[in-house]
Amino acid sequence: MVPLQEGMCPGLDGDLLRSLLAADIRTVEDLVSSDLEDVSRKCSVSYKALFSIRRVLLAQHTAFPVSGADLYEELLSSTAIISTGNPSLDKLLDSGLYTGEITELSGGPGSGKSQVCFGVAVHVSLQLKQSVIYVDTTGGLTASRLLEMLQSETSDGDEQMEALQRIHVFRLFDAYSLRDCLSALRRGGLLQASGGGSVKAVIVDSVSAVISPLLGGKQNEGMSLMIQAAVALKTMAKDFSVAVLVTNHVTRGGGGGVQPGLGASWSHIPRTRILLERVDRAPSGCSSTLRSATLIKSSRQPCHIKEEFDLQRQSRSVRSSSGKRKRDEADS
Amino acid sequence: MTVELETANNHGGGEAVTALELLQREKECGSITTFSSQLDRALKGGLPVGKVTEICGAPGVGKTQLCLQLSVDVQVPLSFGGLEGQVIFMDTEGSFVLQRVGDVAAAVVRHFSLVAEDGEQKDAMQTFDMESILSNIFLVRCHDYVELLAELHLLPDFLRDQPRVRLLVIDSVAFPFRQQLDDLSLRTRLLQGLAQQLVSIATRHNIAVVITNQMTTRLQDSQSHLVPALGEIWGHASTTRILLQWEGSRQVAAIVKSPCCMDTAVQYHITSEGFRDVNQPENSDQPEIPLTERRSL
Repeated sequence: MVPLQEGMCPGLDGDLLRSLLAADIRTVEDLVSSDLEDVSRKCSVSYKALFSIRRVLLAQHTAFPVSGADLYEELLSSTAIISTGNPSLDKLLDSGLYTGEITELSGGPGSGKSQVCFGVAVHVSLQLKQSVIYVDTTGGLTASRLLEMLQSETSDGDEQMEALQRIHVFRLFDAYSLRDCLSALRRGGLLQASGGGSVKAVIVDSVSAVISPLLGGKQNEGMSLMIQAAVALKTMAKDFSVAVLVTNHVTRGGGGGVQPGLGASWSHIPRTRILLERVDRAPSGCSSTLRSATLIKSSRQPCHIKEEFDLQRQSRSVRSSSGKRKRDEADS
Repeated sequence: MTVELETANNHGGGEAVTALELLQREKECGSITTFSSQLDRALKGGLPVGKVTEICGAPGVGKTQLCLQLSVDVQVPLSFGGLEGQVIFMDTEGSFVLQRVGDVAAAVVRHFSLVAEDGEQKDAMQTFDMESILSNIFLVRCHDYVELLAELHLLPDFLRDQPRVRLLVIDSVAFPFRQQLDDLSLRTRLLQGLAQQLVSIATRHNIAVVITNQMTTRLQDSQSHLVPALGEIWGHASTTRILLQWEGSRQVAAIVKSPCCMDTAVQYHITSEGFRDVNQPENSDQPEIPLTERRSL
């Protein structure tokens, strides 16, 4: 059920959309399966215009059968594996984030989801020299932290500035803006947003912050918005060959254990899901930068394998001989 | 097929900025000092403007005191490195005591008149006195969660007319939601909507938002821990979380969640002058209120 939206194809402008809605044609299916002569009479639009719109919509939304061999060839040529910059996470993810797929990071407050997202953005922008689209819905993106991470990887100021310029940030705070932004990106705005550079990663931090206020109770819109945003992300991932990383909160399940939020419907959307937790080894007074990541859904690795990593030393590059690098030394 | 990104731009101002532009904007924003140099150092300058910070603690540990201190600190003139901004104080518990604000303001004015060096700073001190400080605090008294949500709904219009506001304090956000709401799922939804509103206000109007939260007990493995109230999901609302707690007879401020600072803990205490470091040399000749006679919140 794809709703008709303005700008979906040339010729579908605001006035035509309104007259179609008045004639009770809301989705692409309604338009494609209706009698065009009837519709053109009701909406007083030319038959030719409707015919060409229908042809474009059919081309856009029909699934064409592909042979398995072709699919395999396409997979080999278009899929890339993007390292997260964190060797422990790469081990869990079977060497990294796969393009064309959605990967989800869930965890409680302070578990390190945003830090891992920063790490991925910095790695893709600096080491792979590709653009990153970062959609921030929580206000947690701090550019000075990105700069800190860049400074710990390279001491060249120009490289740092260039890497910062390759990270494009969208700041949205409600579900409708998120859906509209993702739809616009999916319909070709990806290249525009990145100013012509090739985008390899799209990070949404976090999806649950904007969607969960609309779920539950007597509201109907929440599920629909969630699925629309999910569809936009999936098609974006496939069509543009980008790796999509989203973050989610956690809720307490029945047995006292934590599980990712947004419910069962969302759980089918990401291909791979990782749960992040704090590791409390020392007594609660001491602060710890250790985090543990558990793989809870994957089509490539056995589930429930766990890895631990230190938020302080996420990057692969080892600068000093001893391997341990204190944070204040890295601050310039 | 060209697609205009204006459709994304028109909805809620979601425009793409590069991280480099964000960095420059952050440098311009500045931060609000807490007057405790150790806490300021741990926070890398002070409370960040444009982000939501949460202060949690048990009753009497100093949350409202810190909020009052911040309400005065945000008004420090530009020539001293301050933000010279106004503050909106939303009080839900009735803990805003005018006399106490007067004491804190007087102490800050005294401190800066002693350190004023050049002409510009001395000129600034002419207009920076107790009366002007009190006149730059907008106090809103909310009696229940409906009033609080309504005030926040009306806030963007108010902020458009008062562009000098740099700090919004909500003290406390837990009280109205714990007293009057029995339906927990409704409470969670309202709180999440509230959180997004606060983040949106902080980012769009370049304001530091400070919210205080109470503590609750959680039973886990037959042991009880004190955790911030309002549930797990509320923990995601704030960008930075500072936990004020007692360790024996010492008061400690711990940063438990932050995007750019490590988890650290610093010691502080509340004097007649306000929120201060422990063993601050400037205040060594000022009388400190012993802990037993400390004014209760």
